[in-house]
Amino acid sequence: MRTILTIIFLIPLPVFSQSLAFDFHSPENIKKFADYLFCEGDYLRAIEQYDFLNQNLDNDTTEFKVMLGYSELGLFQKSNEIFKGVNHKSIFYPDAYLLSLKNKLLIEPQMIKDTSISSLDSFQLKSFCRLTTISMLYDDEFNIPEEKFISPFDEDERNSVLAFYDYKVEPKYKSPALAGVLSAIIPGSGKMYVSEWGDGITALVVTSLFAFLAYDNFNADHNTRAWIFTGLGAFFYAGNIYGSVASAQIFNARIDFEFNDGLKFFLKQRNYFLPEYDFCK
Amino acid sequence: MQNKLTIFLLSALFISSSFCQIEKLKWQKADVSYEKQIHDKKRNYSFESDNAGEFLAKSLANAYWFFISDVDGENCPFRPSCSSFLLQSAKETNIFQASLMFFDRFTRDMNLAKGHDHYPIVSSGHFYDPPHNYTLNQGRINYLPPSFIVDDE
Repeated sequence: MRTILTIIFLIPLPVFSQSLAFDFHSPENIKKFADYLFCEGDYLRAIEQYDFLNQNLDNDTTEFKVMLGYSELGLFQKSNEIFKGVNHKSIFYPDAYLLSLKNKLLIEPQMIKDTSISSLDSFQLKSFCRLTTISMLYDDEFNIPEEKFISPFDEDERNSVLAFYDYKVEPKYKSPALAGVLSAIIPGSGKMYVSEWGDGITALVVTSLFAFLAYDNFNADHNTRAWIFTGLGAFFYAGNIYGSVASAQIFNARIDFEFNDGLKFFLKQRNYFLPEYDFCK
Repeated sequence: MQNKLTIFLLSALFISSSFCQIEKLKWQKADVSYEKQIHDKKRNYSFESDNAGEFLAKSLANAYWFFISDVDGENCPFRPSCSSFLLQSAKETNIFQASLMFFDRFTRDMNLAKGHDHYPIVSSGHFYDPPHNYTLNQGRINYLPPSFIVDDE
């Protein structure tokens, strides 16, 4: 009896465990699954599922979510291609517009020259102003008064924005020509000028050492050795002048790199002044 | 005997319900290769050069490799190594500029504190210091921070 009961109890398990009667591939279920993947941050698969929807249940929200998903994946160009198809009357159009500006900035850091659109609300307009203003820092012909530049930003953002402003207006570059001249006068001093202290001291020691060896050998009438040391010393001396100029250029490249990297980090921290969209509540 | 039959039935049913696959596609084995590619960096001892300066640099490098480096072992802490740096510099610029770049590199090599927060590191552990940063062409400088790790290709 017990065996029969067990068998009867267990038979439905394999039969009904995953029945084909349940339609996993209905548009509603695909959308539910896509929404779930989106909320899990699996944007690539979420977009794939949204694509399966085609026209069924496809709406402004899914369209914006696909655009957002591509942007989160770093496929900014693709995201902006989706934006081209967003209906101007869609409630997500202002958000999509701001997102497209963010994408544009991420595709290529440049000054945003796009104009505001009438459908932006006050919060979105503020985001737009901050984004376009900060993008001016990428302009080579940056020329805007400080007061005007920091005006769209909140009090807690102003210090950082001001630091970027100062960085842009007066970059702390070092002069390659001066570095070369300094090294010509005192070997290694050009390297020290660009904060390469170790290289500078090494250059000073090496050049001085060869100069001394050359001088000493000339004094001792060891002319062959003296000329070898003179030649080596001359190459180290000239190489150091050359290297000082190159080091100053690398120093300036570092300044630019730190500026761009810092700005990128600042913008990323603030999500490019865009609101955080939460579709998962 | 009856107990054994029950256990067998239970196991069979449990397995069939647990592992049944109703999807159209069965799980397949992934076609993954775990082979690690080794970049065999054999030295090129040929004298092929585009100009006299490059030929001179190549001759010097070949002689250094053959008589010193191959015997003594690879000791240069930089990538590219100092001899390769000279060759690449000669290729990118001219023999005069390449000589200046080489002597500057040699001085930097002698710096005892060169490892302190200066160069990005190659995954092999060497300091990454490519010649294109030293051609005095600002546009060619590709600054990488010391925290950056360069793939050893």
